[in-house]
Amino acid sequence: MSLKIEHLTGGYAGVPVIHDLNLTIQPGEAVGLIGLNGAGKSTTIKHILGLLRPQKGKIVLEEKELTNDPTAFKQKIAYIPEMPVLYRELTLKEHLEMTMLAYGLQPEKTWPRANELLKMFRLDNKLDWLPIHFSKGMQQKVMIVTAFLPKTELLVIDEPFTGLDPLAVANLLKLIRQAKEDGRMVLMTTHVLADAQQVVSSYAVLNQGTIETTGSLTDLRQHYGLQPADSFDKLYEILSKEQENA
Amino acid sequence: MHELAIRRLRANVKQSLHYLSLIFNDFFVLALIFLFGALMFWYAKALKTMPVGQNFYRPVLGLLLWLPFLVGHLVTLLEPADEQFLLTQDQHVRSYLTPLLAYSMVLPTIMLVGMGAILAPFALLKVKLSLANYLGLVASLWVLKIFQLSLQNKHLYFGWHFSLWGYNLLTLGVAVLLTYNYSLGLCYFAVVLALGSSGSQRVFNWAEAIKTENKRKQGVYAFYSLFTDVDERQVVIKRRKWLDFLLPKRLGWETPQTFLYRRTLLRNPEYLNLLVRMTAFAWLISWLVQDYRWALGLSALVVLLTLYQLQGLEHVFDYHLMYRVMPIDPAWQRRSLIRVLSLALELQTLLIIVGWAIVLPKQTMLWLYMIFLLAITIFLVRIYLPLSLGSKHETKK
Repeated sequence: MSLKIEHLTGGYAGVPVIHDLNLTIQPGEAVGLIGLNGAGKSTTIKHILGLLRPQKGKIVLEEKELTNDPTAFKQKIAYIPEMPVLYRELTLKEHLEMTMLAYGLQPEKTWPRANELLKMFRLDNKLDWLPIHFSKGMQQKVMIVTAFLPKTELLVIDEPFTGLDPLAVANLLKLIRQAKEDGRMVLMTTHVLADAQQVVSSYAVLNQGTIETTGSLTDLRQHYGLQPADSFDKLYEILSKEQENA
Repeated sequence: MHELAIRRLRANVKQSLHYLSLIFNDFFVLALIFLFGALMFWYAKALKTMPVGQNFYRPVLGLLLWLPFLVGHLVTLLEPADEQFLLTQDQHVRSYLTPLLAYSMVLPTIMLVGMGAILAPFALLKVKLSLANYLGLVASLWVLKIFQLSLQNKHLYFGWHFSLWGYNLLTLGVAVLLTYNYSLGLCYFAVVLALGSSGSQRVFNWAEAIKTENKRKQGVYAFYSLFTDVDERQVVIKRRKWLDFLLPKRLGWETPQTFLYRRTLLRNPEYLNLLVRMTAFAWLISWLVQDYRWALGLSALVVLLTLYQLQGLEHVFDYHLMYRVMPIDPAWQRRSLIRVLSLALELQTLLIIVGWAIVLPKQTMLWLYMIFLLAITIFLVRIYLPLSLGSKHETKK
């Protein structure tokens, strides 16, 4: 019962961006996917979500492969994109109802949870509004609420902290912590390690389309030879130099 | 900046010609020639029977000549990125806008000359204006249009306010006064001209200018989109809560696709306007033919055309990221579209029938033809639509 990415090679229109990528996430584990811009983080996520077709390798989530039963596979995943993607024609309330319909949730049982999430992100008085008219931060909150509504086995979160106010960041971290306690898996890409390390214990460093190393922040420090006094940002300098030398 | 304006102008002309060539295709031009010919034939006949020198001729002439004055706004071709990249170029905006001001006068000039030529026989023969007076009237409106565009230009700077409608109404005064008293009209023209040339400007309001240009462009695209698909058109979704009574109250009756299609149909103006336009068109042609057999045939055609155009709704979310990420079974897509379109077109048919009851002569057979139309719609949405969608999917495979 886990997410297994095995020997994944993929990218766009026959041009591989990620090469022979291997990653496993166990239930109750949150993994941070880190790397420079263009390292292949978003491409990896797109493969997991089924938006790109692997050129080699496979992705297995709880013994199910995307290609065999896409709808059942997607039923196990919730996604928060880096930039909010909303339905222009739906109100906030209808976004929640749409999520209930798509994930087959019973409205009567799900609304208490929805109200709790709406209150948490101070959206409870905007149910009848069209979220396309919200600010970017508010729209991101809508994405968070809809993603945490179904209790999916895997949560894929792409750069979650961009545009959120500190209160929303704290609430998001709380939800991720809760999801881990419930035995769910979390894959998160981020550059904001100070926030991420509150919930993420294991990291995978992606560079030039491959995972260079995995482990805790201490393991990564050792792997890249960082001194205790060094800022973790130095890791990005090292990755950049590696790219230049490649 | 001047070169940038010329480059953008060329691209804009190319784009306009592309859409105009799509709109004014052979059939449309032929139809326009017939319509224009019919109008001119009626006008020539009317001129022969019209009495000379009626009191209301002068204000009507002024009003008709004023209408083309309203056509055309200042074209700036500014883009949203300009607020970032050209922010420091305030002092060069004038040289940027010079060729665009000239370009902005092309459409109003064509319209004014066209209307002036059409109205000349009426003005000279029936209103009994002298040729010099009439030419002076048309020329004054043309000059005032230049000043109107110049005012629109000034309005794009901070600290300068201008009411477009106020200026247009002043111009209407000039147009009417010039038909009565030429000297007084010219004095009034000079005053309006002076108003138009007042004021100086310094700091360019980029945000306002970009917003204004986007609004103008969207207006042009909205016109093009009446005839053809326009990729550049930005659709503004409106909540339209008052239409919510058309949505099912229970979520249990919905699939994700019916849920989305229904709301798209009610809130996306592209689809709602199509439904409204086609229904109004059915009413109009039914009223024109005043015969229930013709009304039946033509209204059935309108329903078929509406159905044909609404079929595009099926794939409207195919490239929506969350639609693809969410566990939505694509197998429901076709059935959901049929459900939603059935309801929409049956509702449209009911509205057409209500229209018939108002505009067609009351005869006992009318009821029978109403039932025929409803039967045709039911056939179209329950039998033709599933077959049509099925064959499309087969072709794709």
